[in-house]
Amino acid sequence: MIRVVLVDDHDLFRAGVRAQLGDGIEIVGEAASVQEAVPMIKELDPDVVLLDVHLGDGTGDAVIVQVSPERPAVRFLALSVSDAPDDVIGVIRAGAHGYVTKAISGPDLTDAVTRVAGGDAVFSPRLAGFVLDAFRSGEATASDPELDQLTAREREVLQLIARGYRYKEIAARLHLSPRTVESHVSAVLRKLQLSSRHELTRWAAERRLI
Amino acid sequence: MRIPQVERTGDESVIAGVCAGIARPLAVDPNFVRLMFALLAFASGAGIVAYVGAWALLPAPGDGEPARRRRRVLGTVLLVWSAILALGGVGLSDSLLFPLLIAGAGGVLMRRESRVVGVVLVTIAIALFVTHNSRGTASTLLAPGAVAIGLLVVAGPWAWRLANERARAEERADLAARVHDSVLQTLTLIQKQPEDARRLARRQERELRGWLYPAVASGSLADAVDRAAAEIEELHGVRVEVVHTGDAPLDERSQALVLAAREAMANAARHAGVEEISVFVDTTAVYVRDRGTGFDPEAVGADRQGIAESIRGRMERVGGTARIVTTPGEGTEVELSLARRLDGAPQAEGSALPTAEQQP
Repeated sequence: MIRVVLVDDHDLFRAGVRAQLGDGIEIVGEAASVQEAVPMIKELDPDVVLLDVHLGDGTGDAVIVQVSPERPAVRFLALSVSDAPDDVIGVIRAGAHGYVTKAISGPDLTDAVTRVAGGDAVFSPRLAGFVLDAFRSGEATASDPELDQLTAREREVLQLIARGYRYKEIAARLHLSPRTVESHVSAVLRKLQLSSRHELTRWAAERRLI
Repeated sequence: MRIPQVERTGDESVIAGVCAGIARPLAVDPNFVRLMFALLAFASGAGIVAYVGAWALLPAPGDGEPARRRRRVLGTVLLVWSAILALGGVGLSDSLLFPLLIAGAGGVLMRRESRVVGVVLVTIAIALFVTHNSRGTASTLLAPGAVAIGLLVVAGPWAWRLANERARAEERADLAARVHDSVLQTLTLIQKQPEDARRLARRQERELRGWLYPAVASGSLADAVDRAAAEIEELHGVRVEVVHTGDAPLDERSQALVLAAREAMANAARHAGVEEISVFVDTTAVYVRDRGTGFDPEAVGADRQGIAESIRGRMERVGGTARIVTTPGEGTEVELSLARRLDGAPQAEGSALPTAEQQP
Protein backbone atom coordinates (compact mmCIF):
# COMPACT_ATOMS: atom_id res chain seq x y z
CA MET A 1 0.00 0.00 0.00
CA ILE A 2 1.46 3.34 -1.04
CA ARG A 3 0.87 6.04 1.57
CA VAL A 4 0.05 9.40 0.03
CA VAL A 5 -0.42 12.90 1.42
CA LEU A 6 -2.48 15.17 -0.81
CA VAL A 7 -1.67 18.89 -0.77
CA ASP A 8 -4.07 21.16 -2.65
CA ASP A 9 -5.94 24.26 -1.56
CA HIS A 10 -9.20 23.19 -3.18
CA ASP A 11 -11.47 20.76 -1.34
CA LEU A 12 -13.26 19.90 -4.52
CA PHE A 13 -10.11 18.94 -6.29
CA ARG A 14 -8.87 16.85 -3.39
CA ALA A 15 -12.21 15.02 -3.41
CA GLY A 16 -11.79 14.38 -7.13
CA VAL A 17 -8.30 12.96 -6.70
CA ARG A 18 -9.41 10.82 -3.77
CA ALA A 19 -12.17 9.31 -5.89
CA GLN A 20 -9.87 8.68 -8.82
CA LEU A 21 -6.86 7.08 -7.21
CA GLY A 22 -6.95 3.32 -7.66
CA ASP A 23 -6.34 0.38 -5.36
CA GLY A 24 -3.00 0.11 -3.70
CA ILE A 25 -2.92 3.80 -2.81
CA GLU A 26 -4.04 5.11 0.54
CA ILE A 27 -4.46 8.80 1.28
CA VAL A 28 -3.19 9.20 4.81
CA GLY A 29 -3.44 12.96 5.05
CA GLU A 30 -4.68 16.08 3.30
CA ALA A 31 -3.41 19.62 3.61
CA ALA A 32 -4.56 22.86 2.02
CA SER A 33 -1.58 25.14 2.58
CA VAL A 34 2.19 25.22 2.93
CA GLN A 35 1.84 25.87 6.64
CA GLU A 36 -0.42 22.89 7.12
CA ALA A 37 1.47 20.58 4.80
CA VAL A 38 5.02 20.85 6.15
CA PRO A 39 4.41 19.56 9.71
CA MET A 40 1.88 17.02 8.47
CA ILE A 41 4.30 15.47 5.98
CA LYS A 42 7.08 15.43 8.55
CA GLU A 43 4.82 13.65 11.01
CA LEU A 44 3.15 11.16 8.68
CA ASP A 45 6.29 10.39 6.66
CA PRO A 46 4.35 9.23 3.57
CA ASP A 47 5.80 7.53 0.51
CA VAL A 48 4.53 10.13 -1.92
CA VAL A 49 3.19 13.68 -1.65
CA LEU A 50 0.84 14.82 -4.40
CA LEU A 51 1.59 18.51 -4.46
CA ASP A 52 -0.25 21.38 -6.09
CA VAL A 53 2.11 24.01 -7.46
CA HIS A 54 0.03 26.99 -6.30
CA LEU A 55 -1.15 27.01 -2.72
CA GLY A 56 -2.93 29.79 -0.88
CA ASP A 57 0.09 30.80 1.19
CA GLY A 58 2.92 29.96 -1.14
CA THR A 59 4.13 27.61 -3.82
CA GLY A 60 4.72 23.89 -3.88
CA ASP A 61 8.49 24.17 -4.03
CA ALA A 62 8.43 25.82 -0.59
CA VAL A 63 6.94 22.61 0.81
CA ILE A 64 9.63 20.48 -0.82
CA VAL A 65 12.44 22.71 0.38
CA GLN A 66 11.19 22.62 3.98
CA VAL A 67 10.46 18.92 4.14
CA SER A 68 13.29 17.32 2.18
CA PRO A 69 16.21 17.97 4.55
CA GLU A 70 14.38 16.16 7.36
CA ARG A 71 12.56 13.56 5.32
CA PRO A 72 14.71 12.79 2.30
CA ALA A 73 12.79 9.57 1.57
CA VAL A 74 9.51 11.39 0.88
CA ARG A 75 8.95 11.78 -2.86
CA PHE A 76 6.98 14.54 -4.45
CA LEU A 77 4.80 14.46 -7.53
CA ALA A 78 3.69 17.88 -8.67
CA LEU A 79 0.15 18.22 -9.93
CA SER A 80 -0.98 21.45 -11.50
CA VAL A 81 -3.23 23.07 -14.06
CA SER A 82 -0.40 25.32 -15.03
CA ASP A 83 1.60 24.76 -18.18
CA ALA A 84 3.80 27.77 -17.50
CA PRO A 85 7.45 26.75 -17.87
CA ASP A 86 8.53 28.58 -14.72
CA ASP A 87 6.06 26.61 -12.60
CA VAL A 88 7.16 23.35 -14.11
CA ILE A 89 10.88 23.95 -13.90
CA GLY A 90 10.65 25.58 -10.46
CA VAL A 91 9.05 22.62 -8.77
CA ILE A 92 11.29 20.09 -10.54
CA ARG A 93 14.38 22.05 -9.57
CA ALA A 94 13.19 22.01 -5.97
CA GLY A 95 13.29 18.22 -6.07
CA ALA A 96 9.96 16.89 -7.31
CA HIS A 97 10.15 13.51 -9.02
CA GLY A 98 7.71 14.42 -11.70
CA TYR A 99 5.09 16.78 -12.97
CA VAL A 100 1.67 15.95 -14.34
CA THR A 101 -1.18 18.24 -15.25
CA LYS A 102 -4.51 17.98 -13.47
CA ALA A 103 -6.28 16.88 -16.63
CA ILE A 104 -4.54 13.50 -16.22
CA SER A 105 -6.88 10.50 -16.11
CA GLY A 106 -7.39 8.48 -12.92
CA PRO A 107 -5.50 5.37 -14.08
CA ASP A 108 -2.62 7.49 -15.39
CA LEU A 109 -2.39 9.32 -12.08
CA THR A 110 -2.41 6.03 -10.16
CA ASP A 111 0.34 4.80 -12.43
CA ALA A 112 2.35 8.00 -11.92
CA VAL A 113 2.07 7.78 -8.12
CA THR A 114 3.18 4.14 -8.18
CA ARG A 115 6.10 5.03 -10.38
CA VAL A 116 7.22 7.90 -8.17
CA ALA A 117 6.88 5.69 -5.07
CA GLY A 118 9.26 3.25 -6.74
CA GLY A 119 11.82 6.01 -7.15
CA ASP A 120 11.27 6.68 -10.83
CA ALA A 121 10.69 9.99 -12.52
CA VAL A 122 7.41 10.89 -14.16
CA PHE A 123 7.55 13.12 -17.19
CA SER A 124 4.37 14.34 -18.79
CA PRO A 125 4.64 15.08 -22.52
CA ARG A 126 4.72 18.78 -21.76
CA LEU A 127 7.49 18.52 -19.20
CA ALA A 128 9.48 16.44 -21.69
CA GLY A 129 8.98 19.22 -24.23
CA PHE A 130 10.25 21.87 -21.82
CA VAL A 131 13.30 19.82 -20.95
CA LEU A 132 14.12 19.15 -24.60
CA ASP A 133 13.78 22.83 -25.23
CA ALA A 134 16.01 23.72 -22.31
CA PHE A 135 18.72 21.25 -23.26
CA ARG A 136 18.37 21.89 -26.96
CA SER A 137 21.61 20.76 -28.50
CA GLY A 138 23.31 23.83 -29.79
CA GLU A 139 26.75 25.25 -29.59
CA ALA A 140 28.94 23.03 -27.50
CA THR A 141 29.27 24.48 -24.02
CA ALA A 142 32.76 24.58 -22.69
CA SER A 143 32.28 23.31 -19.17
CA ASP A 144 30.90 20.17 -17.67
CA PRO A 145 29.24 18.65 -20.71
CA GLU A 146 28.51 15.52 -18.66
CA LEU A 147 26.06 17.41 -16.56
CA ASP A 148 24.70 19.99 -18.88
CA GLN A 149 23.84 17.92 -21.88
CA LEU A 150 21.60 15.03 -22.62
CA THR A 151 22.87 11.91 -24.31
CA ALA A 152 21.46 11.01 -27.69
CA ARG A 153 19.49 8.19 -26.10
CA GLU A 154 18.02 10.41 -23.38
CA ARG A 155 16.99 12.88 -26.02
CA GLU A 156 15.35 10.13 -28.02
CA VAL A 157 13.43 8.90 -24.99
CA LEU A 158 12.28 12.40 -24.08
CA GLN A 159 11.15 13.01 -27.61
CA LEU A 160 8.94 9.94 -27.55
CA ILE A 161 7.50 11.01 -24.21
CA ALA A 162 6.75 14.41 -25.72
CA ARG A 163 4.98 12.63 -28.57
CA GLY A 164 2.67 10.95 -26.09
CA TYR A 165 4.33 7.54 -25.79
CA ARG A 166 4.22 5.57 -22.54
CA TYR A 167 7.37 4.02 -21.11
CA LYS A 168 6.38 0.54 -22.25
CA GLU A 169 5.74 1.75 -25.78
CA ILE A 170 9.06 3.58 -25.82
CA ALA A 171 10.85 0.44 -24.67
CA ALA A 172 9.24 -1.58 -27.45
CA ARG A 173 10.01 1.03 -30.04
CA LEU A 174 13.65 1.49 -29.10
CA HIS A 175 14.23 -2.20 -28.35
CA LEU A 176 15.10 -1.47 -24.75
CA SER A 177 13.83 -2.94 -21.51
CA PRO A 178 11.30 -0.77 -19.66
CA ARG A 179 13.81 -0.62 -16.81
CA THR A 180 16.37 0.98 -19.11
CA VAL A 181 13.88 3.57 -20.28
CA GLU A 182 13.17 4.42 -16.65
CA SER A 183 16.84 4.81 -15.86
CA HIS A 184 17.23 7.21 -18.79
CA VAL A 185 14.36 9.31 -17.54
CA SER A 186 15.75 9.32 -14.00
CA ALA A 187 19.11 10.43 -15.35
CA VAL A 188 17.44 13.35 -17.13
CA LEU A 189 15.69 14.35 -13.91
CA ARG A 190 18.98 14.28 -12.04
CA LYS A 191 20.61 16.47 -14.65
CA LEU A 192 17.71 18.90 -14.41
CA GLN A 193 18.06 19.17 -10.65
CA LEU A 194 21.84 19.33 -10.62
CA SER A 195 22.73 21.50 -13.54
CA SER A 196 22.34 24.99 -12.29
CA ARG A 197 24.15 26.61 -15.13
CA HIS A 198 24.52 26.88 -18.86
CA GLU A 199 21.79 25.31 -20.94
CA LEU A 200 19.07 25.55 -18.35
CA THR A 201 20.11 28.95 -17.12
CA ARG A 202 20.26 30.36 -20.59
CA TRP A 203 16.95 28.81 -21.51
CA ALA A 204 15.35 30.18 -18.39
CA ALA A 205 16.87 33.59 -18.96
CA GLU A 206 15.46 33.70 -22.47
CA ARG A 207 12.04 33.17 -20.96
CA ARG A 208 12.73 35.61 -18.15
CA LEU A 209 12.26 32.87 -15.58
CA ILE A 210 15.22 33.92 -13.49
CA MET B 1 0.76 67.59 -2.16
CA ARG B 2 -1.61 64.73 -1.42
CA ILE B 3 -0.35 61.95 0.71
CA PRO B 4 -1.49 58.80 -1.03
CA GLN B 5 -3.68 56.25 0.63
CA VAL B 6 -3.57 57.80 4.07
CA GLU B 7 -6.96 58.18 5.66
CA ARG B 8 -8.04 59.12 9.09
CA THR B 9 -9.39 56.10 10.82
CA GLY B 10 -12.14 55.70 13.33
CA ASP B 11 -10.99 52.32 14.58
CA GLU B 12 -8.07 53.22 16.80
CA SER B 13 -8.58 56.97 17.17
CA VAL B 14 -7.73 58.83 20.35
CA ILE B 15 -8.57 62.37 19.16
CA ALA B 16 -9.46 62.46 15.43
CA GLY B 17 -7.74 59.33 14.14
CA VAL B 18 -4.91 61.28 12.50
CA CYS B 19 -2.00 59.45 14.14
CA ALA B 20 -3.55 56.01 13.71
CA GLY B 21 -4.31 56.89 10.08
CA ILE B 22 -0.72 57.86 9.39
CA ALA B 23 0.64 54.86 11.27
CA ARG B 24 -1.37 52.28 9.35
CA PRO B 25 0.19 52.56 5.86
CA LEU B 26 3.62 53.01 7.44
CA ALA B 27 3.07 49.85 9.47
CA VAL B 28 4.30 51.43 12.69
CA ASP B 29 2.77 51.67 16.12
CA PRO B 30 0.26 54.58 16.30
CA ASN B 31 1.76 55.55 19.65
CA PHE B 32 5.08 56.21 17.93
CA VAL B 33 3.39 58.71 15.61
CA ARG B 34 1.59 60.29 18.58
CA LEU B 35 4.91 60.67 20.38
CA MET B 36 6.35 62.45 17.33
CA PHE B 37 3.50 64.95 17.30
CA ALA B 38 3.87 65.49 21.04
CA LEU B 39 7.60 66.16 20.76
CA LEU B 40 6.96 68.54 17.87
CA ALA B 41 4.48 70.42 20.04
CA PHE B 42 7.42 71.57 22.18
CA ALA B 43 8.95 73.28 19.15
CA SER B 44 6.95 76.50 19.37
CA GLY B 45 3.74 74.51 19.21
CA ALA B 46 4.54 73.15 15.75
CA GLY B 47 3.13 69.74 16.64
CA ILE B 48 -0.28 71.17 17.40
CA VAL B 49 -0.45 73.12 14.16
CA ALA B 50 0.79 70.07 12.28
CA TYR B 51 -1.89 67.92 13.87
CA VAL B 52 -4.63 70.31 12.81
CA GLY B 53 -3.06 70.56 9.34
CA ALA B 54 -2.96 66.79 9.02
CA TRP B 55 -6.54 66.55 10.24
CA ALA B 56 -7.56 68.99 7.49
CA LEU B 57 -5.47 67.25 4.87
CA LEU B 58 -6.34 63.65 5.53
CA PRO B 59 -9.76 62.60 4.30
CA ALA B 60 -12.08 60.60 6.50
CA PRO B 61 -12.95 57.25 4.96
CA GLY B 62 -16.36 58.39 3.72
CA ASP B 63 -15.38 61.77 2.22
CA GLY B 64 -16.14 62.52 -1.41
CA GLU B 65 -13.70 64.12 -3.84
CA PRO B 66 -14.97 67.78 -3.55
CA ALA B 67 -14.66 67.74 0.24
CA ARG B 68 -11.13 66.39 -0.04
CA ARG B 69 -10.09 69.09 -2.49
CA ARG B 70 -11.32 71.93 -0.27
CA ARG B 71 -9.47 70.60 2.73
CA ARG B 72 -6.26 70.02 0.81
CA VAL B 73 -5.47 73.76 0.51
CA LEU B 74 -6.12 74.47 4.18
CA GLY B 75 -4.14 71.43 5.28
CA THR B 76 -1.12 72.30 3.15
CA VAL B 77 -1.01 75.87 4.48
CA LEU B 78 -1.18 74.65 8.06
CA LEU B 79 1.52 72.05 7.53
CA VAL B 80 3.90 74.57 5.96
CA TRP B 81 3.23 76.91 8.88
CA SER B 82 4.02 74.15 11.36
CA ALA B 83 7.20 73.31 9.48
CA ILE B 84 8.37 76.92 9.83
CA LEU B 85 7.49 76.87 13.52
CA ALA B 86 9.26 73.59 14.06
CA LEU B 87 12.44 74.60 12.30
CA GLY B 88 12.45 77.98 14.07
CA GLY B 89 11.77 76.13 17.33
CA VAL B 90 14.85 73.94 17.06
CA GLY B 91 16.91 77.07 16.45
CA LEU B 92 17.46 77.12 12.71
CA SER B 93 17.99 80.52 11.17
CA ASP B 94 16.14 82.11 8.30
CA SER B 95 19.05 81.32 6.03
CA LEU B 96 18.01 77.69 6.27
CA LEU B 97 14.25 78.25 6.37
CA PHE B 98 13.83 80.14 3.14
CA PRO B 99 15.95 77.86 0.97
CA LEU B 100 13.93 74.98 2.41
CA LEU B 101 10.66 76.68 1.47
CA ILE B 102 11.89 77.38 -2.06
CA ALA B 103 13.10 73.81 -2.39
CA GLY B 104 9.70 72.57 -1.18
CA ALA B 105 7.90 74.70 -3.74
CA GLY B 106 10.28 73.40 -6.39
CA GLY B 107 9.53 69.86 -5.35
CA VAL B 108 5.79 70.39 -5.66
CA LEU B 109 6.18 71.96 -9.09
CA MET B 110 8.32 69.07 -10.23
CA ARG B 111 5.52 66.59 -9.56
CA ARG B 112 3.22 68.62 -11.79
CA GLU B 113 3.91 69.65 -15.36
CA SER B 114 6.51 72.37 -14.83
CA ARG B 115 9.40 70.05 -14.10
CA VAL B 116 12.07 72.45 -15.40
CA VAL B 117 10.89 75.29 -13.15
CA GLY B 118 10.94 72.87 -10.23
CA VAL B 119 14.53 71.78 -10.86
CA VAL B 120 15.59 75.43 -11.20
CA LEU B 121 13.92 76.30 -7.89
CA VAL B 122 15.58 73.43 -6.07
CA THR B 123 18.95 74.37 -7.49
CA ILE B 124 18.45 78.02 -6.44
CA ALA B 125 17.50 76.88 -2.95
CA ILE B 126 20.65 74.80 -2.56
CA ALA B 127 22.84 77.60 -3.90
CA LEU B 128 21.17 80.14 -1.62
CA PHE B 129 21.71 77.98 1.40
CA VAL B 130 25.34 77.26 0.66
CA THR B 131 26.25 80.93 -0.02
CA HIS B 132 24.37 82.18 3.07
CA ASN B 133 26.09 79.76 5.34
CA SER B 134 29.55 79.65 3.87
CA ARG B 135 30.96 81.93 6.60
CA GLY B 136 29.11 80.34 9.48
CA THR B 137 30.48 77.55 11.59
CA ALA B 138 27.81 75.25 12.94
CA SER B 139 25.43 75.69 10.02
CA THR B 140 28.13 74.76 7.54
CA LEU B 141 27.92 71.27 8.82
CA LEU B 142 24.37 71.22 7.55
CA ALA B 143 25.36 72.02 3.95
CA PRO B 144 25.87 68.42 2.83
CA GLY B 145 22.52 67.64 4.43
CA ALA B 146 20.92 70.38 2.36
CA VAL B 147 22.35 68.92 -0.82
CA ALA B 148 21.06 65.50 0.21
CA ILE B 149 17.59 66.89 0.84
CA GLY B 150 17.70 68.60 -2.52
CA LEU B 151 18.55 65.34 -4.23
CA LEU B 152 15.81 63.58 -2.29
CA VAL B 153 13.28 66.13 -3.50
CA VAL B 154 14.44 65.67 -7.06
CA ALA B 155 14.62 61.89 -7.02
CA GLY B 156 11.79 61.20 -4.60
CA PRO B 157 8.82 61.35 -7.00
CA TRP B 158 10.65 59.17 -9.49
CA ALA B 159 11.42 56.56 -6.85
CA TRP B 160 7.82 56.70 -5.70
CA ARG B 161 6.54 56.02 -9.19
CA LEU B 162 8.95 53.12 -9.56
CA ALA B 163 7.71 51.56 -6.36
CA ASN B 164 4.13 52.05 -7.53
CA GLU B 165 4.82 50.24 -10.77
CA ARG B 166 6.29 47.31 -8.93
CA ALA B 167 3.24 47.19 -6.70
CA ARG B 168 1.02 47.08 -9.77
CA ALA B 169 3.02 44.22 -11.27
CA GLU B 170 2.69 42.30 -8.03
CA GLU B 171 -1.01 42.95 -7.98
CA ARG B 172 -1.31 41.50 -11.45
CA ALA B 173 0.73 38.46 -10.51
CA ASP B 174 -1.56 37.99 -7.55
CA LEU B 175 -4.61 38.22 -9.77
CA ALA B 176 -3.12 35.72 -12.18
CA ALA B 177 -2.47 33.29 -9.36
CA ARG B 178 -6.01 33.78 -8.10
CA VAL B 179 -7.69 33.16 -11.43
CA HIS B 180 -5.33 30.33 -12.02
CA ASP B 181 -6.35 28.69 -8.78
CA SER B 182 -10.06 29.21 -9.06
CA VAL B 183 -11.35 29.24 -12.58
CA LEU B 184 -8.73 27.04 -14.18
CA GLN B 185 -9.15 24.46 -11.45
CA THR B 186 -12.89 24.47 -11.83
CA LEU B 187 -12.68 24.22 -15.57
CA THR B 188 -10.30 21.31 -15.31
CA LEU B 189 -12.77 19.58 -13.04
CA ILE B 190 -15.70 20.23 -15.32
CA GLN B 191 -13.83 18.53 -18.10
CA LYS B 192 -14.06 15.31 -16.20
CA GLN B 193 -17.88 15.64 -16.36
CA PRO B 194 -20.11 14.78 -19.32
CA GLU B 195 -20.27 16.05 -22.84
CA ASP B 196 -21.58 19.60 -23.31
CA ALA B 197 -19.75 21.06 -20.36
CA ARG B 198 -16.51 19.64 -21.62
CA ARG B 199 -16.47 21.53 -24.87
CA LEU B 200 -17.38 24.78 -23.16
CA ALA B 201 -14.86 24.27 -20.43
CA ARG B 202 -12.11 23.49 -22.89
CA ARG B 203 -12.78 26.64 -24.84
CA GLN B 204 -12.87 28.80 -21.72
CA GLU B 205 -9.74 27.23 -20.43
CA ARG B 206 -7.97 28.00 -23.66
CA GLU B 207 -9.17 31.60 -23.69
CA LEU B 208 -8.17 32.13 -20.10
CA ARG B 209 -4.77 30.60 -20.65
CA GLY B 210 -4.29 32.89 -23.61
CA TRP B 211 -5.00 35.84 -21.37
CA LEU B 212 -2.95 34.72 -18.39
CA TYR B 213 0.09 33.46 -20.24
CA PRO B 214 0.00 35.41 -23.48
CA ALA B 215 2.03 33.77 -26.18
CA VAL B 216 3.76 36.04 -28.62
CA ALA B 217 1.69 35.70 -31.76
CA SER B 218 4.50 35.29 -34.23
CA GLY B 219 2.62 33.62 -37.06
CA SER B 220 5.03 30.73 -36.71
CA LEU B 221 4.67 27.00 -37.27
CA ALA B 222 3.96 26.28 -33.61
CA ASP B 223 1.33 29.04 -33.50
CA ALA B 224 -0.40 27.67 -36.56
CA VAL B 225 -0.46 24.14 -35.15
CA ASP B 226 -1.84 25.50 -31.89
CA ARG B 227 -4.62 27.24 -33.78
CA ALA B 228 -5.41 24.13 -35.82
CA ALA B 229 -5.55 22.10 -32.61
CA ALA B 230 -7.93 24.63 -31.08
CA GLU B 231 -10.22 24.34 -34.10
CA ILE B 232 -10.25 20.56 -33.88
CA GLU B 233 -11.05 20.73 -30.17
CA GLU B 234 -13.89 23.08 -30.91
CA LEU B 235 -15.29 21.02 -33.79
CA HIS B 236 -15.00 17.57 -32.30
CA GLY B 237 -15.02 18.07 -28.55
CA VAL B 238 -11.76 16.25 -27.99
CA ARG B 239 -8.71 17.41 -26.09
CA VAL B 240 -5.64 18.09 -28.19
CA GLU B 241 -2.40 18.38 -26.23
CA VAL B 242 0.19 20.25 -28.22
CA VAL B 243 3.80 20.13 -27.08
CA HIS B 244 6.47 22.02 -28.96
CA THR B 245 10.21 22.04 -28.64
CA GLY B 246 11.05 24.05 -31.68
CA ASP B 247 9.54 26.57 -33.98
CA ALA B 248 10.00 27.87 -37.48
CA PRO B 249 8.64 30.71 -39.58
CA LEU B 250 5.58 29.87 -41.58
CA ASP B 251 6.22 29.52 -45.30
CA GLU B 252 4.58 27.57 -48.08
CA ARG B 253 6.13 24.28 -47.00
CA SER B 254 5.41 24.56 -43.30
CA GLN B 255 1.92 25.75 -44.20
CA ALA B 256 1.40 22.41 -45.95
CA LEU B 257 2.76 20.69 -42.85
CA VAL B 258 0.18 22.47 -40.70
CA LEU B 259 -2.70 21.57 -43.02
CA ALA B 260 -1.64 17.93 -43.14
CA ALA B 261 -1.35 17.88 -39.36
CA ARG B 262 -4.80 19.38 -39.05
CA GLU B 263 -6.22 16.65 -41.25
CA ALA B 264 -4.46 14.01 -39.16
CA MET B 265 -5.95 15.52 -35.99
CA ALA B 266 -9.39 15.60 -37.58
CA ASN B 267 -9.09 11.93 -38.57
CA ALA B 268 -8.06 10.98 -35.06
CA ALA B 269 -10.94 12.96 -33.58
CA ARG B 270 -13.48 11.43 -35.98
CA HIS B 271 -12.38 7.81 -36.18
CA ALA B 272 -10.15 6.86 -33.27
CA GLY B 273 -12.83 7.13 -30.60
CA VAL B 274 -10.53 8.84 -28.09
CA GLU B 275 -10.85 11.88 -25.89
CA GLU B 276 -7.28 13.01 -26.17
CA ILE B 277 -4.86 13.45 -29.05
CA SER B 278 -1.16 14.19 -28.58
CA VAL B 279 0.57 16.52 -30.98
CA PHE B 280 4.30 17.19 -30.96
CA VAL B 281 5.84 19.97 -33.01
CA ASP B 282 9.50 20.38 -33.88
CA THR B 283 11.12 22.74 -36.36
CA THR B 284 10.45 20.57 -39.40
CA ALA B 285 8.15 17.84 -38.17
CA VAL B 286 4.77 17.28 -36.57
CA TYR B 287 3.60 14.07 -34.90
CA VAL B 288 -0.05 13.36 -34.29
CA ARG B 289 -0.76 10.47 -32.00
CA ASP B 290 -3.86 8.84 -30.57
CA ARG B 291 -4.44 5.72 -28.51
CA GLY B 292 -7.67 4.83 -30.26
CA THR B 293 -8.98 1.99 -32.35
CA GLY B 294 -6.34 2.16 -35.06
CA PHE B 295 -7.10 0.83 -38.52
CA ASP B 296 -5.84 -1.35 -41.32
CA PRO B 297 -4.39 0.99 -43.97
CA GLU B 298 -5.05 -1.61 -46.68
CA ALA B 299 -8.72 -1.62 -45.87
CA VAL B 300 -9.27 2.09 -46.36
CA GLY B 301 -11.37 2.55 -49.49
CA ALA B 302 -9.94 4.35 -52.49
CA ASP B 303 -12.79 6.84 -52.27
CA ARG B 304 -11.51 8.09 -48.96
CA GLN B 305 -9.34 11.02 -49.87
CA GLY B 306 -8.34 12.05 -46.36
CA ILE B 307 -5.07 10.21 -46.03
CA ALA B 308 -4.09 9.86 -49.68
CA GLU B 309 -4.66 13.44 -50.71
CA SER B 310 -4.92 15.69 -47.69
CA ILE B 311 -2.02 14.16 -45.83
CA ARG B 312 0.34 12.19 -48.05
CA GLY B 313 -0.16 14.10 -51.29
CA ARG B 314 0.11 17.43 -49.56
CA MET B 315 3.40 16.53 -47.89
CA GLU B 316 4.89 15.05 -51.05
CA ARG B 317 4.10 18.12 -53.10
CA VAL B 318 6.34 20.20 -50.84
CA GLY B 319 9.07 17.57 -50.80
CA GLY B 320 8.22 16.14 -47.39
CA THR B 321 7.04 12.81 -46.15
CA ALA B 322 4.08 11.38 -44.29
CA ARG B 323 4.26 8.09 -42.46
CA ILE B 324 1.36 6.43 -40.72
CA VAL B 325 2.00 3.85 -38.05
CA THR B 326 -1.17 2.11 -36.97
CA THR B 327 -2.28 -1.17 -35.49
CA PRO B 328 -5.92 -2.06 -34.97
CA GLY B 329 -6.64 -1.71 -31.28
CA GLU B 330 -3.46 0.16 -30.40
CA GLY B 331 -3.90 3.56 -31.94
CA THR B 332 -2.28 5.56 -34.67
CA GLU B 333 0.63 7.91 -35.10
CA VAL B 334 0.99 10.13 -38.12
CA GLU B 335 4.52 11.39 -38.62
CA LEU B 336 4.84 14.38 -40.90
CA SER B 337 8.22 15.69 -41.86
CA LEU B 338 9.52 18.30 -44.25
CA ALA B 339 12.92 16.62 -44.44
CA ARG B 340 14.06 13.75 -46.67
CA ARG B 341 17.03 11.49 -46.40
CA LEU B 342 19.73 11.95 -49.02
CA ASP B 343 18.86 8.66 -50.68
CA GLY B 344 15.30 9.83 -51.07
CA ALA B 345 13.83 7.26 -48.71
CA PRO B 346 11.21 8.53 -46.31
CA GLN B 347 12.70 9.71 -43.07
CA ALA B 348 10.97 9.40 -39.78
CA GLU B 349 12.55 12.28 -37.95
CA GLY B 350 13.11 15.85 -38.98
CA SER B 351 16.66 16.89 -39.72
CA ALA B 352 16.69 19.17 -36.70
CA LEU B 353 16.37 16.15 -34.47
CA PRO B 354 19.70 14.88 -33.29
CA THR B 355 19.09 11.15 -33.34
CA ALA B 356 18.37 8.74 -36.14
CA GLU B 357 15.37 6.49 -35.84
CA GLN B 358 16.07 2.78 -35.78
CA GLN B 359 12.48 1.80 -36.44
CA PRO B 360 11.64 0.98 -40.07
